[in-house]
Amino acid sequence: MKKHQHTRSGCTPQKILTLCGGCLTAALIFSAPSMASDVSFSGESSTILRMKTNLEKKDIYPLYEYLRLNLNDNRDDGSGVAFYLGTWGRLDLADKSTDKYSDADLQYAYLSYRSAKNNLAVNFGRQFISEGVAAEKVDGLYLRSDFAAGFGASAFFGKAVMTETDAKGGNFVYGTRISQSMPKYYSVGISALKSEDSDKQRYREEEGIDLWLHPVKQVELTGRSSYNSITEGWMEHAYSLGITPLEDIKFGADFSNINYNDYFYNVTTNALKLATVFGLPNPNSNEELLTAGVFVSATPIKNLTITADYKNYSYQLAGDANYFGGKISYSIPGSYSAGFSGHRMEGNSDRLRYYEYRLYAAKKIGHADISVDFMNVGYDKKINDVKNSYAATASAGYEFSRKLKVGADLEYSKSPDFDNEVRGLLKLTYAFDTKKANKGGKE
Amino acid sequence: MKNKLLIVLIPLVLSVLYACANTTSVARIHPETLTNTPNCSECHSDSLGLFNHKSADFFKKHGFYAGSSRQTCASCHQESFCSDCHAHKEEIKPADKFADSPDRNLPHRGDYMSQHKIDGKINPASCVKCHGRQNNERCASCHK
Repeated sequence: MKKHQHTRSGCTPQKILTLCGGCLTAALIFSAPSMASDVSFSGESSTILRMKTNLEKKDIYPLYEYLRLNLNDNRDDGSGVAFYLGTWGRLDLADKSTDKYSDADLQYAYLSYRSAKNNLAVNFGRQFISEGVAAEKVDGLYLRSDFAAGFGASAFFGKAVMTETDAKGGNFVYGTRISQSMPKYYSVGISALKSEDSDKQRYREEEGIDLWLHPVKQVELTGRSSYNSITEGWMEHAYSLGITPLEDIKFGADFSNINYNDYFYNVTTNALKLATVFGLPNPNSNEELLTAGVFVSATPIKNLTITADYKNYSYQLAGDANYFGGKISYSIPGSYSAGFSGHRMEGNSDRLRYYEYRLYAAKKIGHADISVDFMNVGYDKKINDVKNSYAATASAGYEFSRKLKVGADLEYSKSPDFDNEVRGLLKLTYAFDTKKANKGGKE
Repeated sequence: MKNKLLIVLIPLVLSVLYACANTTSVARIHPETLTNTPNCSECHSDSLGLFNHKSADFFKKHGFYAGSSRQTCASCHQESFCSDCHAHKEEIKPADKFADSPDRNLPHRGDYMSQHKIDGKINPASCVKCHGRQNNERCASCHK
């Protein structure tokens, strides 16, 4: 485990968690009635070699290996047990790409049981929890189930997986979400999350309500409000409305409100520590951001989509900015795709006054695929003597078989930070399994 | 006495509510092979039909859907699909890892070194959605 990551061990809650989680998962798995099962093993290895220069203008060649493993035991009644693992490692072949010549991470590794009834799920191990206010990577236990009268509940408990680049983070994190829904019309959820630091002090306490209304097929309202009990203020309100009056036309509107003091309370990196700047109090930490946006999207002919969008950013302290533009895209799945987008950012500060364009195309020819992508940001006022920041990427790949694919990308860019940067990437992907890949599975 | 009563009552009530629910779980594996960005409403007329991946606001809403109905996402997407972007520690940005898929809604296109200073100012909360409140070590190379 890396030095910046949690290394606390030996504390009682961890042992309890490990014991309880292991016992519970094992009990559920092995208490399931004996029946025919379909065991499969699949995985994917991606070896990536990058070629670029670092901030000191030295050539670097980091070599990465990403490994994903899935072990599935699908039972005839629809239930199943699975083990998922994802990890990566990096070795620098020339100068170091970060402050270390090599690095690695365990992204996820958990044992999962899912029942055929009531969406009962039990996961144990390193996993990403996404439940109401929680969007956390946790080493721990997660449970969820449907209950009577449209109720559903989930709970999780574990040790927060985090990097602590500048400040200590929370230790244990736990939370729950209780929902009530009529799947055809609505779903309402309340959720809470709590985390304590190693001194048992309150680190995070958040509560939230989420709403998903779709009274008729043409109307959908989604949204969430979250509250910080430690700062006693609303962190965020974010709501979206979508209206589809005709099958090929959609209107949308969204609104969000973020209070920096409440939202960025207790973070572990200075990049997001808005309360201080270079160790001094940041006058902008009391900033409040209000965004309001609308869009209209139409599909006049099959595979062609045209979208126009507008968003207003309103700051309590820093002034306003407007972002507006459109996108046109054409896509024939598995064969061809192309798109063009253009946007204008019109803000009060120089950095928030620019035009942004993007043009891309991708084509599959037999077992080969090629793509080009160009993006340009044109500033009204030069930044570091650069008027246009752009990047052009060309990519090509070849699929030797369903299991083996190679690809290469080349990118040229010019920006306020790099005069002329050329970056390359080689990728070899190898998929392996004991039987035909799962139906519907997407990596 | 009160605690002992709760220890007996809570599992009992939960068991009864669980038994009464009697819903069928979302399929662990989607029965049809899906590629690219499906429009779920082509087959589903219930709430699953709202998961139209082609919709202009789907990318914006996907986090909400995952927070409300993760099991539905899991029918097609494996954990690696989430961790490609939502990584507490990642060195290759998604747009670089999947440069061969320019049609995908992947963040940080082009040279993001310059743009992240602008995006970080316009809405720093948007960084937290993927990088988490703890961010990742990559940031520390400059943000000391």
